[in-house]
Amino acid sequence: MMNNIFGSGKKEKTPFYLTVVDKLAGLYTRQGVDYSQMRTILQTKMVIDSRRENLIQGAQSTKKRIEGEEKNQFFSSLWVYTLLSSFLLILFAYDNWVFQYTTYFSFIFIMIFSTMLANFSGILLDTADSTVIGTKPVSKKTLGAAKATHIAIYLLSFSVAIGAPVTLSTFYFNGIAAGILVALLTLLAAFWCLSLTMIMYGTVLKRFDGERLRNIIAYSQIAVSVIMVVGYYMMGQIFQIVNPETLLVEMNLQLGHILLFPMWFVAPFGMLQEGFTLVYAIYTGLLIAGTLVIAYLYMNNSDRIETHLQKINSSDPKPNTRSAIERLSAKLLCFGSLEKAYFHFSWQLTKQEREFKTRLYPSLAGAIVFPAVLFFQNLTADSMEGMQTPYIYLILPYFLILSIPMMAVSVQFSNDYKGRWVFEMAPNQSRGPFVKAVTKVLLVKYIIPIYGIISVLVLYMVGMSYALQLINGLLLMSTILYIESKRANKTLPFTRKFAASEANQGCMASLFFFFPVFIVSVVMVLLQNVFPTSEWIIAVLLVGINVWWMTNRFSNKKNTKAVSV
Amino acid sequence: MEPILELIDLKKRFDEKEVLKGVTFSVMPGEIIGYIGPNGAGKSTTVKILLGMLDKDEGEIRLFNEPLTNGDISYKSRIGYVPENAELYETLTAKEYLLFVGELYGLKEEDIIRKSIEMMDALGIKDAFNGRLSSFSKGMRQKVLIISSLLHNPDILFWDEPLSGLDANSVQIIKEVLLHLKKAGKTIFYSSHVMDTVEKLSDRIIILHDGLVVADGPFDELKEEAEGTLEQLFNTLTGFDQHAALAEQLVRSMEGDMPYDE
Repeated sequence: MMNNIFGSGKKEKTPFYLTVVDKLAGLYTRQGVDYSQMRTILQTKMVIDSRRENLIQGAQSTKKRIEGEEKNQFFSSLWVYTLLSSFLLILFAYDNWVFQYTTYFSFIFIMIFSTMLANFSGILLDTADSTVIGTKPVSKKTLGAAKATHIAIYLLSFSVAIGAPVTLSTFYFNGIAAGILVALLTLLAAFWCLSLTMIMYGTVLKRFDGERLRNIIAYSQIAVSVIMVVGYYMMGQIFQIVNPETLLVEMNLQLGHILLFPMWFVAPFGMLQEGFTLVYAIYTGLLIAGTLVIAYLYMNNSDRIETHLQKINSSDPKPNTRSAIERLSAKLLCFGSLEKAYFHFSWQLTKQEREFKTRLYPSLAGAIVFPAVLFFQNLTADSMEGMQTPYIYLILPYFLILSIPMMAVSVQFSNDYKGRWVFEMAPNQSRGPFVKAVTKVLLVKYIIPIYGIISVLVLYMVGMSYALQLINGLLLMSTILYIESKRANKTLPFTRKFAASEANQGCMASLFFFFPVFIVSVVMVLLQNVFPTSEWIIAVLLVGINVWWMTNRFSNKKNTKAVSV
Repeated sequence: MEPILELIDLKKRFDEKEVLKGVTFSVMPGEIIGYIGPNGAGKSTTVKILLGMLDKDEGEIRLFNEPLTNGDISYKSRIGYVPENAELYETLTAKEYLLFVGELYGLKEEDIIRKSIEMMDALGIKDAFNGRLSSFSKGMRQKVLIISSLLHNPDILFWDEPLSGLDANSVQIIKEVLLHLKKAGKTIFYSSHVMDTVEKLSDRIIILHDGLVVADGPFDELKEEAEGTLEQLFNTLTGFDQHAALAEQLVRSMEGDMPYDE
């Protein structure tokens, strides 16, 4: 029987995840992993995740005792994903299984891959374990397996949560065989996402080093995000609803679609419903072959990340100088020397923090690629003369709002969170100037450039007469960014350590944002087009709000909020 | 007698910067070695290579009469390490942390607990056994780290700034611990900026400067090169003799203060 180092002295129940992992002990051992060590590391990591200790500053009492509380936020919030993915149940109105599961697996892949890249890359690329664990007789393979299993527990739980509505409904609507198949393939999809990410990072870490390595990691994340969105778009092209009344769907599967690997997951359902066809057989074959190749690559490279991880920290970053744009932005947007100091600090930190970039870049890539795909789709579908309405173009820039929650949440965390004592020593400890400064940095560094690029494309299509509407969109975004920054940053920015249990914070907020964003953007576009004079009223209103938040003096109330370690 | 540790022409480069330019020395069993040098001399890099946290670029390392290759881990069960900047899992209790480390060494739970309590008692922090590390003072954390490096009864200890954060009494205790470990036949390889301690405790002192060993021998021998204390010898060998001028410059710079306007 394995030890339970966190339950010694008491008859504590072994956690469910450990019971499952224990069943796979033989598999780990065969791969050259020291299972006992791997289990100890995994158990410790999970306990650490469940303990987000809060230090109360200012000796204020709290309504509930936070220290000692052991609750993993990640697991307790999964039901929200189950609720949100319930919208997929509409798929069962269609009789075509291939259509149903193509939509389902596209959704599953995009959700799991985004979560993996944005939220768990940091754990894979974490170098902090090298001092505590790396100096003990623990092989890189064992440490790598512990990290992968740690992430897999979260990723599989996430997959079960988002896959549950469709999986359960499949049992009801499509039978037991299809139900078992969808459950297994959902878990397999999570394994694919984890393994592909690990193989990608392992390859990048092996091939590159120095300052270039850090950039390549960020570029590879962006590339994967772009491929995902483009793939998602192409998946949509395979089907056409030929009769909306009878919900008849026509499939147009071509050779070029063979690279869309989520389709491989769908082929078995085609065979189950329609019987054997060569196309389904090929795609099913590709699924099996792909899984075997990925499993082989994973097993042979599972220690590659750990072996080469030291390279991440083994180079000095290039010396930083304040760019002209940084100085100019600080001069124009910051009021007061403290806010300017925080502005420059946040600017440099967002440039250096690997954790921050890791979380944010995939989301930004999605925000720019999704409208771009829609834009080019419309460009090819409509000629300019045939274009009846510019609405579809005017709404595109609003997609960027979806990345705002991720931005606002990401600035809470830092690898150098212990540096927070600097703020505690500052003569003015109010949170306001810092949150304001960091919001302005996000605005200048990310929102304005990306929104600008999308707007130029849109203006090219709709004409310069819509310029004010697009400026209004930017002003609205700036307002939302400020509100969200203030909401998300209950502590001083960059003063918290990232934990796996908080991995879904940004995604969750993005999901909650989706419907309000959709409504706000539709209202903004319709209002300004139906009542042209409203453009100016909205402009004046939004300028007023932005001037207010950018210039208002925050109360000098000392920051007494809890700071999580 | 064969050396327990031998470094021959060890080199390490980070990008364009050559941090170790060919470090060579050997350590005999039971010796206390003071490994000192200015910041950036390459001390921590040497220790990190010895502990497998970094791979060497060139050179040879022999530990326990075996050549050490990149990726080797078997020797780690015979060494104990106290890092300079400890990454502790702060939400764990001392008991949980020590159990965690002990289990990675393959020790039995009851042995870990017994040893941990005894050692914490000896260092005066037994009452904090079930306390979370996040609530510990720097000195208490340092003591937990020292205990974690001793749990598995290692043959050689690598301690990087072991006295950091300790109060005067604790410093005395750790000095005694070092001497008793030596008596027990352990080899101790430690770095410190506290010259007085290094001078008094070390059988041999190795001074590293700019990636190269510039002095290696017992303090009495090294004294022949420069009269006075180890600190004076250190300054001579590392070419640093401008303390007063630099201190004056710092205080002068301080005078033009600029408080925040909020």
